Amino acid sequence: MSKKNCYVCNKQGLSRKEIGLTKKLLDENATRFYCIDCLAEYLEVDKEFLLDKIEEFKEQGCTMF
Amino acid sequence: MIYVDNAATTKLSSSVLDKVLPFMADEYGNPSSLYSIGVKAKRAIDVARNQIAIAIGASPNEILFTSGGSESNNWVFQSIKDCYHNQPLHIITTEIEHHSVLNICHELSKNGVEITFIPVNRNGQVSPVAIENALKPHTRLVSVMFANNEIGAIQPILEIGNILKERQVLFHTDAVQAVGHLPLNVSNLNINFLTASAHKFNGIMGVGFLFKRANIKFQPLILGGSQEQNNRAGTENVPGIVAMGHALEESMSILDTEYQRLRKMTELTIEGLKSKISGIRVNGCSDRLPGLINIGFDGILGESLMHMLDLKGICVSTSAACTAGENKISHVLRAIGLSEECARASIRISFGRYNTFEEVEMIVNAICSAYAKIKGISHQII
Ligand SMILES: [Zn+2]
Repeated sequence: MSKKNCYVCNKQGLSRKEIGLTKKLLDENATRFYCIDCLAEYLEVDKEFLLDKIEEFKEQGCTMF
Repeated sequence: MIYVDNAATTKLSSSVLDKVLPFMADEYGNPSSLYSIGVKAKRAIDVARNQIAIAIGASPNEILFTSGGSESNNWVFQSIKDCYHNQPLHIITTEIEHHSVLNICHELSKNGVEITFIPVNRNGQVSPVAIENALKPHTRLVSVMFANNEIGAIQPILEIGNILKERQVLFHTDAVQAVGHLPLNVSNLNINFLTASAHKFNGIMGVGFLFKRANIKFQPLILGGSQEQNNRAGTENVPGIVAMGHALEESMSILDTEYQRLRKMTELTIEGLKSKISGIRVNGCSDRLPGLINIGFDGILGESLMHMLDLKGICVSTSAACTAGENKISHVLRAIGLSEECARASIRISFGRYNTFEEVEMIVNAICSAYAKIKGISHQII
């Protein structure tokens, strides 16, 4: 899989969690991705909150993360 | 938090909590004990049995306490199977039942029981004629849910009950979503078995009941003590049962006003969304539970929307979610003819006792905002 960059700030090489979060919350077939900071800003939530959500998704067995 | 997933569970009524707290503290007697504290507990569950019987038009001795909807549903099917052991046995049900009905049916079919699953129309309703046409000489039970938990579709229970009474076939209804929310009388509807669960009408989780018409042959579920007329042994869940009785009595006392209020909330939600987002679909029909709507969107995943709303503190549910890495599509949405894409683009909103009209407006705005974010377009240009 090719490396993905942030659509907003162009942060290079987004992590599996960042790619997974964009897919989970916005579009499973997403072609543009957000880094965790830009996604938090776009969704108007705290970054920590999103990190907690990732843990919830993992506990639910979601394989995106 | 705005909780609009009342079809999943409901908040315990605060007045019920007050009534049940003594039984979780000082009134801890075993209802089978013969001294005063035990007698008090026994009286309390007798009161609950009476409250429930009055609510559904039954006699108190026709109410059996269980752990909830799944147990009540399983019990009916297991009992019928045991009662007709070594005899041809045919059972009719529908494609949109709860998994606690579908899965026991699949299990029985592995053991030689003939099961017919009747399809539903696009509205999510089963045809009484289709049920009548499926009857066979060895049909012993028909099980049709009162109202569906995913789309809210109310089934033609009266018509089915009349047919089955005439044909002398037992009738079970899983009324978990209906009890406490819709007018319901087991005698008028010719129902022989009815399933209910307390936490769907502002009671406590882990307790429910099974209505079993008197004088119907029935098999015990648990052997041991003489609780539940020797049908289900084990010390009763006194706080849960007491809460269930009061919760149902309270729900029945406000049923008409709540019905109108919840109906208005769902109407306003649909109107609000349709005015701001194009391509909104309401899955099912208007003959549904007053507080429940299943809504389909254009080009987004219901699961994404559900998570986005969760980020804003709004709890809705989706009928197709990624669980343990599997994408499960609702059998109900498929049964009403939705494509996989449409089924996955749907969410369920279920209003309840503690929701307000202010919340309706907040939910509509939050959905529009989340929809715009998912679509990646400006909220203003929807
Ligand atoms: Zn970024």
